[in-house]
Amino acid sequence: MTKLIFLGCLSTSKYKSTCANAIKIIQTIDPSYIILDDVPCCGALSYHIGNDLELKDHVEFVNNWFKKNDISEIVTICAGCYNYLTKYYSHFLGDDFEIKVQHLFQFLAIPENLAKLNFNYSGKKVKVSYHDACHLRNAEIPIIEEPRQILNSIDNIELKEMENNKTNSICCGAGGGVFSIFKENSDYNSKLIFDQLNRGKILLTGCPFCYTALKRVKEENQLKKPVVKFEDFIIKIMEGVDPVIE
Amino acid sequence: MSESGKELYDKVKEKIETSQKEGTLQNQFGTFWKMACTIKTRQHDMRYLYEDTSREFVDKNRDKFIEMREEFVKHMDMYVEKCIDIMRKKNFIVHYAKTNEEAQKIFMEELGDNKTIYKSKSTEAKDIGILDVLKENNIEIKETDLGDVLVQLFNYTLPSFQVGPGAHFTEEEIANKIKEVRGVELEPKAQAIVEYFRSTFRKELLNNVKVSLTSANAISAEDGTIVLGENEGNISIITRATEKHIVVCGITKIVPNILDAVLMTQLQSRINNVSFNYISLISGPSNTSDIQGTSVQGMYGAKEVVVILVDDWRTKAAKENLIYADFLKCLGCKSCIFPCTASRAFGNIYASKYGLGATAIIRDYIHNGIESAVENGLFLCTGCENCYHWCPVSINCGEILKSMKKEATEKGLAPPDLEKYKEKIIKDKNPFL
Repeated sequence: MTKLIFLGCLSTSKYKSTCANAIKIIQTIDPSYIILDDVPCCGALSYHIGNDLELKDHVEFVNNWFKKNDISEIVTICAGCYNYLTKYYSHFLGDDFEIKVQHLFQFLAIPENLAKLNFNYSGKKVKVSYHDACHLRNAEIPIIEEPRQILNSIDNIELKEMENNKTNSICCGAGGGVFSIFKENSDYNSKLIFDQLNRGKILLTGCPFCYTALKRVKEENQLKKPVVKFEDFIIKIMEGVDPVIE
Repeated sequence: MSESGKELYDKVKEKIETSQKEGTLQNQFGTFWKMACTIKTRQHDMRYLYEDTSREFVDKNRDKFIEMREEFVKHMDMYVEKCIDIMRKKNFIVHYAKTNEEAQKIFMEELGDNKTIYKSKSTEAKDIGILDVLKENNIEIKETDLGDVLVQLFNYTLPSFQVGPGAHFTEEEIANKIKEVRGVELEPKAQAIVEYFRSTFRKELLNNVKVSLTSANAISAEDGTIVLGENEGNISIITRATEKHIVVCGITKIVPNILDAVLMTQLQSRINNVSFNYISLISGPSNTSDIQGTSVQGMYGAKEVVVILVDDWRTKAAKENLIYADFLKCLGCKSCIFPCTASRAFGNIYASKYGLGATAIIRDYIHNGIESAVENGLFLCTGCENCYHWCPVSINCGEILKSMKKEATEKGLAPPDLEKYKEKIIKDKNPFL
């Protein structure tokens, strides 16, 4: 019975330090969670365009990989993986998919887990805004309140909601593979998200796809406020480092 | 001739490039539309005339809307039959058209020798192909909604917003266009422009209309009443001051009873922040029994009210559970358009001749096939499902579009880069290798 930290292929390929931070957070709470090499892609990016047969084959391949490695529980840091593992794996595999899948936010929001982290941040008070990623708010079990519960439990951190939040949040414009083919979508929509920051000093996101789009738009438009991945933010808080400094 | 994914992708890219160049019609519309979406989205959370916001109105009535639509879709045949039966008893002339082609033929027969038709705004007429057949037969189409009148004046052929099709033209542009086309000099102010049409076109509408065309916001199956909401008064005039009023719509406009029909009309008003100052309830042609109790049809209002109820894709979608079967529940309220990620970013690039947004892409797919849907921006959808969150009856257009994307991929019509990602996932088990 193995508990796996499922990092997702985007983070594994492009955001190695975030992966290290996530592992640190999860293992602080429960050291029995491990990472494995050669974890296959959950297949999220192909769901828009693959036919059912191809998708079923892929999902079966991944499930067999889980079985081979005796995986019983997963905590994933990727919003896309969470959405697809919980939605499509049961759809294609039924009872043959027996793994308990949690997103990092659900795992962290459990009170006894929260208590294990050092959230006594003594730096100066910081106002943050959180962007609800479509993959999290649209999932079979939506993740909306958990990140808010986590942020509200941190000393000296104040959550400033954006005008469009929760199920009404603005999509970054990168989903559905649109990031790679029509980047003009995120050019507009990601900028709208930054426009809504108002009093928030930093923009937090729990989705590596949103982060990629938001970061690009921030840099191309020389926007001042930082966009920070949730895991990186949590580590800074735990280590008492000012989360506003990129 | 069938085109490949690469060619279709290039076409969409080209349209986007045009829309990003200042001075193009697409750019002008895009700028207007971005602003409109922001304002409209915000308006749903604000109280204007009523005690509740439009979002609260939707939430309060959501169960009722869902029940009303699911009940209709489940018993579609029964409701259509019931509706036709009562309408005939009330002296409507009712036609049931199995296909759009049949509806077009019936429409032309009902039109007879008339060479001009006055119409109100209608997505249904576009869906059923009435406008195309009128153009083919050289029938003069006179739009009566000011937005559509402006669209005609400008000879604007790009897709536009269904509710305010001419709202992106500025006062100066309209005044200049009127001067250019009609030689009339007007002050470039909305008030003056409206006054001009009131003093000229209103007379024509009151005196010259022989045949008028409208859709219906909803039709009550219980008593055969057609509900039409509007703010300008054009529908009131052309449905009364006419010889023949022809109503053309899909059978999905039918709802169980009159209260449902009014509630549905009210929803359309609330979502679009258009105050329906006039709501017409039409239950048959004008008539009188004032002379010896003898009923005579055609007093001051329409002498004949013809209703063409069109099935076309609808029953098939329900019976065969086609990918767009859920779309049968659509209330036509357009709440899915404003929060749509792709619509906001791409305006009339993510659109078809049926209007803007996902529902227009779905209609395009239904009538013109997957290739046309791809060319009109199917792959611009991010699958964010804002449409679903906002829909009063929880239709997930994002899911419908996802199924369409799969079909496009199977037919080799998907953008090549997406195909590459898929290949990497399926073969290498990592798209970023």
